[in-house]
Amino acid sequence: MKAISFDTQSAQRVYNDYIQRCRKATSILSAKDREDVLLEINSHIYEYLSANSTKDQMETLLNVLERLGAPEETLKEMVAFKKIGQATLTYNPKHLIQALALNLTNGVIYIILFVLFLFEIAFPILIILKLIYPDQVGLFTRSNGTFLYGYLSKSGSGGISIGFSNPAKGTEILGSWFIPVSLLIAVLIYIGIIFLLKVVKKNKKK
Amino acid sequence: MYIVYLCIMKTEFIENWHSQLRKGLLPLFVFMILENKKCYGYELIQDIKVGFDIDVGEGTLYPLLVRLAKEGLLTHQWEEQPSGIPRKYYSISIEGKSALAAMKTYAGLIFKKINE
Repeated sequence: MKAISFDTQSAQRVYNDYIQRCRKATSILSAKDREDVLLEINSHIYEYLSANSTKDQMETLLNVLERLGAPEETLKEMVAFKKIGQATLTYNPKHLIQALALNLTNGVIYIILFVLFLFEIAFPILIILKLIYPDQVGLFTRSNGTFLYGYLSKSGSGGISIGFSNPAKGTEILGSWFIPVSLLIAVLIYIGIIFLLKVVKKNKKK
Repeated sequence: MYIVYLCIMKTEFIENWHSQLRKGLLPLFVFMILENKKCYGYELIQDIKVGFDIDVGEGTLYPLLVRLAKEGLLTHQWEEQPSGIPRKYYSISIEGKSALAAMKTYAGLIFKKINE
């Protein structure tokens, strides 16, 4: 990106500082998206300055930067939107987490998505625990019909669990099928998260 | 005192409504301008100001342009300039033109109802 040259050092410093803040605010984006946003901001500043070239350059610069607003706020929506696009295109968990975190404040649906993502993390942890403690991890059932999917401590209480809390020592029914079942559930939740994100993105466009 | 309070409330309500209406109509204005020519961001802001008497903020326009482009209603291309600082020109797509026609029809119906 070609930087704009200013007549005074102070104007140059103000401009450089603003562009630097824009770089920081867009650092989460892909290189292509980031360059696109930065080029457009730079172009806007240049066009504004050119259209007001008869006025004091520093004052004009301050005016355009004031109109653009603080990059951390102004670019928030654009960055969040572009990040969802990147997450749904790449299926990359890193982009997915970033997109969820960026949009967490935008509505209840993102809180639901975030809870789903916590479940998404829980299942791989349970798979690892199953390998370490095969007898204490699984789908445990009790005679009264309650169940626990997860880790059960030797005393029969506590641990990571998905299901009813604090069941007495029950019978494990999945055995070695626990790992493929957990893996399948994790994949289904992941597909569900991506699907919900796509729905949200579509609704946002509407 | 109560009457003054009510007047302030009403003024605030009308101002909020104006703001919401302007925001709602903004995609229509963007499409209407781009129907005749391609524009870059700064140019669009100026044209909206002249054509519709609305001073749209950069923080409102640019995210909108990103959304409309992602939806396929606008296309864009970078054009090099003698200054070395390129311009990002936006154009309306075929889908955008269809959307514009539908929006104009609907807006026309609403305004007709209002004026009846």
